Amino acid sequence: MRIATSTIYDLKVQNLLNQQAALSKTQSQIATGKRVQTPADDPVAASQLHELARAQAQEEQFAKNSTIVTGRLQTEEQALADAHSMIQRARELVVQANTATLSDSDRNFIATELKARLAELLSIANRKDGNGEYLFAGYSSGTQPFARALAGTVAYAGDTGSRYLQVGASLFVQDSDTGSRVFTDIPAGNGLFTAAAGAANGGSGVIDAGSITNRSAWVPDVYTLSFTTASTWQVTDSGNAVVASGNYTSANVIAFNGVQVGITGAPVVGDTFTVASAGTQDMFTTLDGIVSALQKGGSGEALRAQLNSSLNGSLQQLDQASEVLLTVRSQVGARLSTLDDAQSSRLAQLIDLQATAGQLGDLDYASAVSKLSQQSVALQAAQQSFASVAKLSLFNYL
Amino acid sequence: MADMLSTGVSGLLALQRALDTTSHNIANASTDGFSRQQVDLVTRPADPFGNGWIGTGVDVATVRRLYDEVLASQARIAGSGFRQLDTFSTYASRIDNLFSDVTTGLATTLQGFVSAVQTVANAPSSVPSRQVLLSQAQSLLNRLKSYDNSLSGINKQIDSQLHSEAGAISTIAGNIASLNQKIIAAQGFNQQPPNDLFDQRDRLLGELATHVTVNSVAQSDGSLNVFMGTGQALVMGSTAAQLGTAGDQFDATNTRLVLQNSASLTDVTEAVVGGTVGGLLQFRAQLLNPARNAIGQTAATLAALVNSQQAAGLDLQGQLGTALFAVGAVDVLPSKFNSGSVAATVTRSDVSALTTNDYQLLYDGTNWQMTQTDGGAIVPLTGSGTVASPFVAAGLAIVIGGTPQAGDRMLILPTRNVVSGMSVLLSQPEKIAAAAPLLTNAAAANAGSATIDAGQLSNPAAWVRGNYTLSFAAATTWQVADASNTVVATGAYSSGTPIVFNGVQVAVSGNPAIGDSFQIKDNLSGTGDNRNALQIAALLNKPVLNGGTVSLSDTVGRLVSNIGVQTNQAQSGRDAQQVVMNDARSAIVNVTGVNLDEEAANLLRFQQAYQAAAKVIGVANSLFQSLLDATR
Repeated sequence: MRIATSTIYDLKVQNLLNQQAALSKTQSQIATGKRVQTPADDPVAASQLHELARAQAQEEQFAKNSTIVTGRLQTEEQALADAHSMIQRARELVVQANTATLSDSDRNFIATELKARLAELLSIANRKDGNGEYLFAGYSSGTQPFARALAGTVAYAGDTGSRYLQVGASLFVQDSDTGSRVFTDIPAGNGLFTAAAGAANGGSGVIDAGSITNRSAWVPDVYTLSFTTASTWQVTDSGNAVVASGNYTSANVIAFNGVQVGITGAPVVGDTFTVASAGTQDMFTTLDGIVSALQKGGSGEALRAQLNSSLNGSLQQLDQASEVLLTVRSQVGARLSTLDDAQSSRLAQLIDLQATAGQLGDLDYASAVSKLSQQSVALQAAQQSFASVAKLSLFNYL
Repeated sequence: MADMLSTGVSGLLALQRALDTTSHNIANASTDGFSRQQVDLVTRPADPFGNGWIGTGVDVATVRRLYDEVLASQARIAGSGFRQLDTFSTYASRIDNLFSDVTTGLATTLQGFVSAVQTVANAPSSVPSRQVLLSQAQSLLNRLKSYDNSLSGINKQIDSQLHSEAGAISTIAGNIASLNQKIIAAQGFNQQPPNDLFDQRDRLLGELATHVTVNSVAQSDGSLNVFMGTGQALVMGSTAAQLGTAGDQFDATNTRLVLQNSASLTDVTEAVVGGTVGGLLQFRAQLLNPARNAIGQTAATLAALVNSQQAAGLDLQGQLGTALFAVGAVDVLPSKFNSGSVAATVTRSDVSALTTNDYQLLYDGTNWQMTQTDGGAIVPLTGSGTVASPFVAAGLAIVIGGTPQAGDRMLILPTRNVVSGMSVLLSQPEKIAAAAPLLTNAAAANAGSATIDAGQLSNPAAWVRGNYTLSFAAATTWQVADASNTVVATGAYSSGTPIVFNGVQVAVSGNPAIGDSFQIKDNLSGTGDNRNALQIAALLNKPVLNGGTVSLSDTVGRLVSNIGVQTNQAQSGRDAQQVVMNDARSAIVNVTGVNLDEEAANLLRFQQAYQAAAKVIGVANSLFQSLLDATR
């Protein structure tokens, strides 16, 4: 076969160029540590790498979100704990005030302390987070949720919305609870009914908070328990129909419509007690009620009995408040533990994402370095053989 | 009569030519396109003699170049193919490089935007985090624009390269035509082949083939006719056509190739293949335009989703949100050949049905027909093209205006200019609609088990703001009253069926008791509400494109892998074609090329023969001297 002299040069040079290009590619892979330099190197891996980078950024954002929710929940937790200790202190004060040996001025001191506690509770309910947002205002986080109206009652100005933050691909965690949930919507009485003594009672009859014997037999209404004589009672509903009646002895348990209330002491004719189906009562109203009951005083049998009845109801109300606070706290705790779980699964996922990205896009140095030396040897051999072939010419001998 | 002296001289002269030719070969060993030449020697006619024929020496029949047209044409075709793939892959690599960096890629930038939305969701009332979102929207825009600018820059470069390619092709064609003329004259002069002129012409033909695939037909007078594409004559004898560029019928900035000869002007864009020109046209049609359209589609979808979610939420000032992004409109380009005054207004009506294709509308005198520009597939149209009932196809709503005439055409580019016309509309961070417009809750005293969902605006424009109460006078009928207790809507209750009034839509499910009520409030003071922001943040992974099957992040992945696959194919195709081209080139060069060893041997051979012929003359001389001496 005949070959042209230029073929020897052209093809060999082309060969050298190709080998140099391959060598330079391997070298740049080693320099960057990346196997996939551009999408063309491995189109499938490249598009996955883009998606993995996005997913990593997404997980990092979820981690940030998670930190924020954790911070807010811890702030809320603290506020709930503070509120709970206020309620506990109030309970102690009520128990103390309910002892017969106290004078009216003692009760006034207690009322003064309770007022201070009430103000403190109000400020807890209006607490803000680090961003200056009210913790317990729902979505209306720029509106002060609790304020004392001119009429003297505390009204909730927030709303019922609860904000969720995204901390996982399909995991949303509530970052706050509304003021209505925490402070306002406290079940009144035992949740079914409230028991109270009539304001004009002249006797020493004291009603307790009552209890439920048969929930399904309860017919919601406002019932009036009145003493027709000092030893007989009757219960009438709002339509004045008599529901039950009986004879009274002290420490009697009066049962009707699936509930029972206990009355102690000596009621007089015409004394009334109310058993009403319960709605909700906010903590501030409860505390306001205690303060005004204490300020009314308890000297004299009738007043003493009224105070006693009222404080019995209040104690139950405080227990309800404390239970709500504990429930919300435990929910906050559950959310915090969800966040912890999400955190550890996110860490695992991040490691996984990085590992996958590494497998797809990173260079196997061992094989790359061996490829590099192989390619260098091949290039060197091509250069040497080219040089020796190019030297051969018949003209050298002419 | 045989004559030793003249025989010797004939040898001297012939070998002199052979030595000349060998020197010419050696001198041109490195000349591009040179074919080695060979002196064809023939014996002179012999003289008759009584006992036979006596030879009278040698003559030069011709000087011939060693050439093989079949191999040469194979090498040209292989070269054409290589240049096409090489051009394609060179340009493809540039797009490929645009998408090489993962950390600044489109997917990561989109995620950056979504993360900023999450940051707003984390603290909706915080103005700084809203400001971050606006900056992220701007950097997303910048990234999209930088892709679009790079791609349209490449497009401009292709236009200008096509222009210079056309000029180069015209110049080469002109040179071939003038060589044709010289060859005809030279051949007419002595009836011998002008080898070096042939070489020059073949070299030009080879160069032409690197620009575009050509066919050539040799004529009996020695000239060569050259054709390109599907038989358009570029060179006919000694006249050459001019290849130029012109804008297309729809878009004057879209460069097309036109061939001008004495008779006519022909658009050859669709006809030409191979070479640099073929590579440029293929790259533009297969990779560049689809990539621009795909980025446009992504941007249009993103903007439509964000904007419609914005419109469904409330901003920090309690107002309904307005669009965050503006995007470029659908391009409608009527043909310059249209006889009517036809125009069309085209809007993107459904982003989930948008494609990356371009379309042509053609009026046949009674009906409009829509075809896909690439491949020509017919796209069925619904509607009648009026404002009340626009043509709907491929996510577009088309309203025809003006008076169309039969044969009128329009080109529709649904997503090509989305990014170039894109901007961030909001400048005040407060305007980001992070809050949902409604706040629903059940009354505390409800006795039934019914629950209400969060509600949404089914028609933000029809929303009458205010607080509403949905109540159940019976377990099976509901009514909605506004704040002043005026009943605005009533209906029969069915669990889970949306209840719609005043642009508001809520759903109640479960069993309501008589007298149960639900509040549907205007979320006017919900500065801490992030529900709408969460909805915006969810859009990246929501399957919305392609009829609701592909998410935005998927489509970015597809774009990247498509560019990668095409670049990869072009690169490996080019490498394979390079081998084919090198083989074909070696095959022809091995016939035509000079081998210096061979020439050295020839040099020795002819030198020795020349010396021998000279010796013949010497012997003839001494013979003659002997004769003279004999008679002295």
